[in-house]
Formats: sequence, C-alpha cells, structure tokens
Amino acid sequence: MPDTHIALREAAAGYGVRLVFEGLTLEIPAGQVTALCGPNGCGKSTALKAMRRLLPLRHGAALIGDRPVTERSARTLAREIAMLGQTPEAPGDLTVRDLAGLGRYAHASRFTGPGAADRAAIDAALSAVDLSDLADRPIAALSGGQLQRAWLAMTVAQEAPAILLDEPTNHLDIAHALETLDLVRRLAHEMGRTVVVVLHDLNLAARFADRLVLFRDGRVTGQGPVSEVFRPELISHVFDIGCEIVMTSVGPMVVPFKNSRAAAQDGQRKAA
Amino acid sequence: MNVTAARLGLLGMLLSALLLTGIGTGSSFLGPDRVIAALWGTGERMDMVIVWTLRLPRVALAALAGAALALSGALLQRATRNPLAAPSVLGITDGAAVGVLLFLTISSDAANHLTVPVAWQPAFAGLGATGFALLVLLLGGRHRADPLRLLLYGVALAALAKALVVLLLIVGPVYRASQALIWLAGSVQAAQGRDVVLLGSVLGLSLPVLILLARPLDQLRLDPDSAFATGLPVAAVRGAALALAVALAAGAVSVAGGIGFVGLLAPHAARLLFGSRAAPQLIGAALLGAAMTTGADLLVRLAFQPLEVPVGAVTAALGAPFFLWLLNRRGDPHA
Repeated sequence: MPDTHIALREAAAGYGVRLVFEGLTLEIPAGQVTALCGPNGCGKSTALKAMRRLLPLRHGAALIGDRPVTERSARTLAREIAMLGQTPEAPGDLTVRDLAGLGRYAHASRFTGPGAADRAAIDAALSAVDLSDLADRPIAALSGGQLQRAWLAMTVAQEAPAILLDEPTNHLDIAHALETLDLVRRLAHEMGRTVVVVLHDLNLAARFADRLVLFRDGRVTGQGPVSEVFRPELISHVFDIGCEIVMTSVGPMVVPFKNSRAAAQDGQRKAA
Repeated sequence: MNVTAARLGLLGMLLSALLLTGIGTGSSFLGPDRVIAALWGTGERMDMVIVWTLRLPRVALAALAGAALALSGALLQRATRNPLAAPSVLGITDGAAVGVLLFLTISSDAANHLTVPVAWQPAFAGLGATGFALLVLLLGGRHRADPLRLLLYGVALAALAKALVVLLLIVGPVYRASQALIWLAGSVQAAQGRDVVLLGSVLGLSLPVLILLARPLDQLRLDPDSAFATGLPVAAVRGAALALAVALAAGAVSVAGGIGFVGLLAPHAARLLFGSRAAPQLIGAALLGAAMTTGADLLVRLAFQPLEVPVGAVTAALGAPFFLWLLNRRGDPHA
C-alpha cells in the first residue's frame, strides 16, 4: 500500500449537540482514488469536511502528510488540499474561466493578480474538463453537466495534490457521471493526485475507485482495495439489504434486494 | 471590461453634472462656469463665498454620505451573502442615531451646551451602530440558510432603535433640538465644513482597506465552504467587511442622519450595471449612491422651496417601493 496522504485519527465531529462520528480512524493512500460509501447520514460527507477543516473536530486529529490540518493558514492548506462540496454556489454572471480562476486564489499574488502560471493552470483545467470552447460563457447559461464540470475545473485549477469531492455525480445523467468519474480517475492515475470521493452509487464506486471505505452509523465497517471490500456480506450489513455481486465485462456489480428480515416484516404487514 | 470603464465614466460625468448643478442652485443661480471658477479659486469674491461657505458643504456632504452608505450596503450584501442587507435594513443606521442622541443627552448641560468636544459624536455613532449591528448579526446569523430571518431581526431592532431615538429626543436635554431631528429622516441642510472633513476622512481611511479587500471579496462570491476550500480566510474577511460597513454607515449617519435606502438601492443598481466583480461594483455603487443623494437633495430644494424637506424622506419615498419589489421577486437573488 502506498504512503498515507490524509488521515483521520480518533476523530469526533458533528453538528450542534449531535455527534456524527467519534473515534473514527481513516487512512487515505496517496495517488489513488478512494471512494467513501454508505447510507444517508452515515458520516461520509462529514468525514470529508473534517479532512478539509470545514468542520472543527471535537476530538482527535485530521492529518495531511504527518501534520494536523489545523497547523496551516487557510491559504497554505488550500495549496495542499482542494475540495468541491455538494452544493457550491457562485453568481451566474461569472464566466467559466472566471470560475476556474477562483481556484487560483491560494497561488496568485495578492497584489499583481493572476500571472502566467495561473493562466496556464486555468487553461489546463478547462481542457481537462473539456470546457475550453465554453470558457467565456457565463455559468448561468450552462447545462447541469457543464456547470458541474466548470466547478471541477475550479477545483483542478487549484493544483492541490489532494482533491476531495462530495457527490460530484449528483444531478448528472449517466453519460456525464461516467465522464466526471473518468476525469476523477485521470486526476489520480495520470496526474498523481490523491482523490477522495463520496459516492452514492456503489456500482460506480466499485468501477472507478481503487479503494472503498464503507461507513455505517459513523463507523468504518470496511476499508481496502475494491476487490476486498466489495463483498455481499459487507454490503448487506452496511446498507441493511440483501444483495448479490455479479461479474460483468466492466467490473463487479451489486444487485440489491430486500433482506430476509425486511421481507419477512413486509410479508407480515401484507398478511395483516 | 471596456463596457465597464465606459459606464463608470458616464456615471462619473453624471455625478459631476449633479454636483455642479447642486452647487449652482439656490436663491441666486450660478452657472457651471461660475461654479467651476469659484471652486478653482479664480471666481468673483461673492461667488466664492456662496460656493465655499454656503453651498459646497451641503452638496459635498450629500455626495459623501450617499457614497459611504452605498459602500456600506455593498459590503454588507457581500459579507452576509444576503441581497436584502443594507445599513438601514440591519438596524445599523438607527443604531448610529441612538449613539448620537445618547452622546447629546449625556454630554449636554442644563443650558443645552455641550460639555465635551463634538468630535466625540462620531465615536458614539460608531458605538451605537456596532452595538445594533452585532445584535442583529448574532441573532440572525444563527439561521444562515434563511436570508429573510436576518432581515426580520434587523427590522425589529431598527424599530427598537427608532423608539429609543424618539424617547431620547423627548426626554433628554438635547443640544440644538432642531439639529437632532435630522437623525430621524436624514438631512444635509445644516451641513458644516467640519462634517464634510469628518466623513471625508472616514471614506479616505476606508479606501486602502477596500483596495486590500477587493480580491478577497471577489473570492467571497463563492459560498463560504468553497471560498475557504480555495484558500480564503472567510471569517476574517467577513469580519473586516462588516466592520468597515459599520464604520462607513456610522460616519455617514453621525453627520447626515439616517438617509434611508441608498445603501440598499445603489449596490443593487451597481450590481446590475457592473456585475459581481468587487472593484467595479464597489466603485459604481459609491458613484451611484453619491449621485442619488445629491440628486435627491437637489430635488427637495427645487420642489419644496422654501420648505426644507429632509433628503432622507425623498430617498425613502423612492427606495421603499424598490425594496418591496426586491422582496417580491422570485428566483436567484444573487444572480
């Protein structure tokens, strides 16, 4: 296994009085795609926010390399780790290029504004998400898939060695979802970035990620290479379903069905 | 970019024309040539007196107060990401008025003379404005997702501040009661050179801060999480923008009273004209705000002669319907 790039150690975090997880320990290897999966409210998005210091830890530490994320300024941290949230917002009059340019904040000089390196990074990011042709279009005039790619361009332009993505395929049709995850893979395998991605769709996660981390109720119930974690008994336990894994030409697929307990309850209800 | 520059140039010309007309208009009309000559120091003696001591303080104060309130509103809207935020809406204007009247009440003696230098007045305006701003932001800030909630707290606390102002006016031994009345509606009729210098310095001091804030404010167009993820120290930038907004509003209110709705209207108009980039929008808002108050003051002088109607009454009469329209509008309020 490659070196650990990002880690949570005995971490506890939550919102208000509610703790989403505690005692969570998680290691993200460098240069790979790690997918965080699990049912709604299991703590996968919260874990992502904790890694990016968007949420303070009540206990434990979030580490990047071997230093806690709290030891860096906002600017320094942004040069090491980028993140795209689930519902990013920006005014509609920004062009695609403007939006990608906002990813350069931590690099560009405070006084002279963006320089040649910034422009090169923006161009590279736009071409990576295949939006070079639409660079001057206001983001209000983009389709859902184009807009999601424009946000990815901002995140890529940040040129951070680690990238965290929270449900990047949300609201995308299947073609754009595949395209986005293809980019995610290239970010890791061709550009050497460490990518952590929260994904709802287990089948897409199994196909595009190198490693899976399965969450349930704020605990990690399984982590490792896809081949080790993508198993019926583990998935059944995490999602409270029955399932079968079938091998297809593009990879393993999970076929879920109601587990026996739920089916039995259903049967009783029908009988009554 | 060229469109932006052209529009800013046009706005600048409009403002200059309003300023020249404002200075020229009065019981004896001076043409622009005579106003310019007097301003330049080459005019006739009589013109110089009229321009420099009678008219310029009033017109300059109107323009500076409009610019300060517009900048304050633009900063508030950006920092709170709330398109309905403005110094008058968030209780800052009325809070400053409470500070001023508190100052006048506690520092006047039995003969209604001030016992401390009047230079302390803006400091008290600042304290009142800061106090009410903090209250509104603390109460409303807990409900980030709901922009109307912040507004409701602002309206409630502004009403409280207004009540306090009236109470202090009635109860307190007030130094120059007629002057105190201007804080109810906002007026520049009693402008003095001292007021112009004071507000001018507040604006002058805020300029370097605004220049430093331009890029961070651009970044703050992103939602707070995305802005932080790209490296912006969000809390610090918001804090700085809010503090500057409060200082600008307090400075304007302490010398010109609560001129309403300029701080809401001007930033919106600037946003429509110049888009979401911070530098052009802030410059545009300042020019528009100055033009609005200068124009409104000119209007009250021409339309209601010889009555003196507070300029704030005109800006409120024009601004309130616009505010209702904004409240009523559906869709993305930030686009």
